Amino acid sequence: MAPALVGFTAFVVYPLIRSAYFALTRYNGLTAPTFVGLDNFRRMFTTDPSFWPSVRATLLLVVLYVPLSLVIGLALAVFCNRHMRGVRMVRTLIYLPVVLPVVATITLWKFVFNPQVGLANQVLSWLHLPTSEWLSGSGSAIPSIVIVMLWSVGSTMIIFLAALQAVPTELYDAARIDGAGPRTVFFRITLPLISPIMVLQVVLQLVTALQTFNQPKILSPDNQGGPGFSTRVLMLSIYNHGFPTLGRVAEFGYASAQVWVLFLVIVVVIAATARFSSIWTYSDHAS
Amino acid sequence: MKRTLHAAGALLTAGGLLATAACGGSSGKASDGKTTVTVMTWESSATNQLIDKALAGFHDPDITVKRIDTPNGNYGDKLASLTQAKKLPDLFWCGNDTELQYTGQGLLTDWSGKLSGSGGFTAGSFSPTAIKNWKTPDGKIGGVPSLLNTYGIWYDIDAFQAAGVPLPKAGWTWDEMYAAAGKLQKKGAKYGLVADALTGQDAPFALSLYSQSAGGAPFTDSVNQPTKVTADATYTEGVGKLVAGIKSGAVAPPGYDASTAQSLFAAGQVPMLWSGQWLAAGFLTDKPKIKYGFAPLPQVDKAATLYDAVGICTPSYTKNADATYKVLSYLDSTVWTKVLPDSPVAVPAYTGAQDAYYNALSKAGLTTVASTVKADLDAPLTSGVRFTTQWASQSNDQITAYWPDILKGKKPLSDLQTMTGKINDVIKSNG
Repeated sequence: MAPALVGFTAFVVYPLIRSAYFALTRYNGLTAPTFVGLDNFRRMFTTDPSFWPSVRATLLLVVLYVPLSLVIGLALAVFCNRHMRGVRMVRTLIYLPVVLPVVATITLWKFVFNPQVGLANQVLSWLHLPTSEWLSGSGSAIPSIVIVMLWSVGSTMIIFLAALQAVPTELYDAARIDGAGPRTVFFRITLPLISPIMVLQVVLQLVTALQTFNQPKILSPDNQGGPGFSTRVLMLSIYNHGFPTLGRVAEFGYASAQVWVLFLVIVVVIAATARFSSIWTYSDHAS
Repeated sequence: MKRTLHAAGALLTAGGLLATAACGGSSGKASDGKTTVTVMTWESSATNQLIDKALAGFHDPDITVKRIDTPNGNYGDKLASLTQAKKLPDLFWCGNDTELQYTGQGLLTDWSGKLSGSGGFTAGSFSPTAIKNWKTPDGKIGGVPSLLNTYGIWYDIDAFQAAGVPLPKAGWTWDEMYAAAGKLQKKGAKYGLVADALTGQDAPFALSLYSQSAGGAPFTDSVNQPTKVTADATYTEGVGKLVAGIKSGAVAPPGYDASTAQSLFAAGQVPMLWSGQWLAAGFLTDKPKIKYGFAPLPQVDKAATLYDAVGICTPSYTKNADATYKVLSYLDSTVWTKVLPDSPVAVPAYTGAQDAYYNALSKAGLTTVASTVKADLDAPLTSGVRFTTQWASQSNDQITAYWPDILKGKKPLSDLQTMTGKINDVIKSNG
């Protein structure tokens, strides 16, 4: 217990307290921090033109990615849960992107989405379909990033698959005897029984989406969350302020203030999910 | 007891690993009494090999030069980490902005005393604008400029001839540039002109060339110590022409992925590219199939160009400043005369080494590059490429919030005043 406490204190509690202090200072890492009270938060909410677009980009990512990853992950899990030839191979293929090096695959996607010479537009041209600006368009950049994130939907699928395989087969047999069709079986038996896992998935995907960093960092044309602020999600904004490009001075104080805002957002979202999940989560425990 | 010993052993091992892994570190006296001066560059491995070869020619019985072999990727992150850990090497490649910011915070050795002395390596041995821009308000010089970046328009001669457009040359105008871009685009190019410098975060500074050339006010009175930014009628006119060029499809819009622009130019798919002289070194290696040239930036009345220099800095805690300065002067003068003939990447700020660069270009047949670089250095009007101040990221955010939308026509030209007003607020709030 003691080593765990030491580790928790050193790597969680101390950094948390330290970052809370830095959030109230102007600190560039080169000279001593200067206490500025709530100035960083005031700047964030009132004068920083990138903060609210960052919030918007983060929320858009959450709204697009979380439902899509759950729906596609569940659909693939249902498909892979069937007894048919080659299903193991299909499962492996779907899960494969998860085990590939993340940075390498994201970099490859950057080439795929290059509007001038990328594979995506080449294919669309061959098919005589309109091409897209993909990552270079302020309206198409976040959806493009979501596509790249969904490339790793195998991780969602594998958890759903485990949940589906835990559903007792007798229930399906009984439902069929009672004349239930596939739709009824899915909505009345499968979904309720995997709902606890669904809650877990919702929480995991929310946290993943709120903390997205690699994809916008590597994929945005300027690696800063462009074009404009369209892909500058909160995590990337924090990074940009804490670890700026060559020739710029770090703003650790301001970045720490942003960290606390993101932290509180995550806590509130997760708490709300946990609080309201009991409404639609199946439980066979007597209350 | 055994556990304690294990823990102590692990700590010692970790400490040893950390000590071994530390890549930075300032000079120190070795056991043989020699001072070791460490150097870190952001160059490619090929250029680093040339630098090593040139450094082998440095002979001083009391000094050993050691280049820290580190890949050039994420140089900014490495620099930031080494700065915070106070482990910067004695000499490290730096930009003008890093030099001014670090000197302002007392992090660099001030060479102004040595540069004002006599000898072959003094302030008078450099291009005048270079040294002027590397001085802090209180006259300190924390680093010495090494290479000057110059900007111009790379053009595809075949594409111009096919479109019946005269080749760009010194003294050509902005209107001629946009007209050429329009014709080239109509001839089949996706965009006639790709100019990331006009659409990206530093673009308001590049557009300053238009107003300065036309006799208007520059975008800012200084990139090092600005007191205000301005978008006067001439400046607005220049932005208006750019907006029209983007609207017509002649100029690539904001958001255009410029990372492949160089290879697209070499492949004949971009007929005009606003970029720097540094592409020449790459073209000499990769040998594009097109015939190409490099012209000075366009003007309205007077020639105006962008100022941008990189250099070599020294941390304040260098152990032996005299030894470091000896190596610095060798690096910044003799080394370039040996490196640039094989890799003519930029013109040295040290005037005595400039011939090596121009000769290399002439030998390679890149006469338009040589003449454009010379014209650039002689241009009567200059504008810094970006703010070098500590709060520059705040003004960049204001630019990002307005500039792309103005260029795309989503916001009116009058919003230039809103943008400059907000940047002026940033300037005021940061004193």
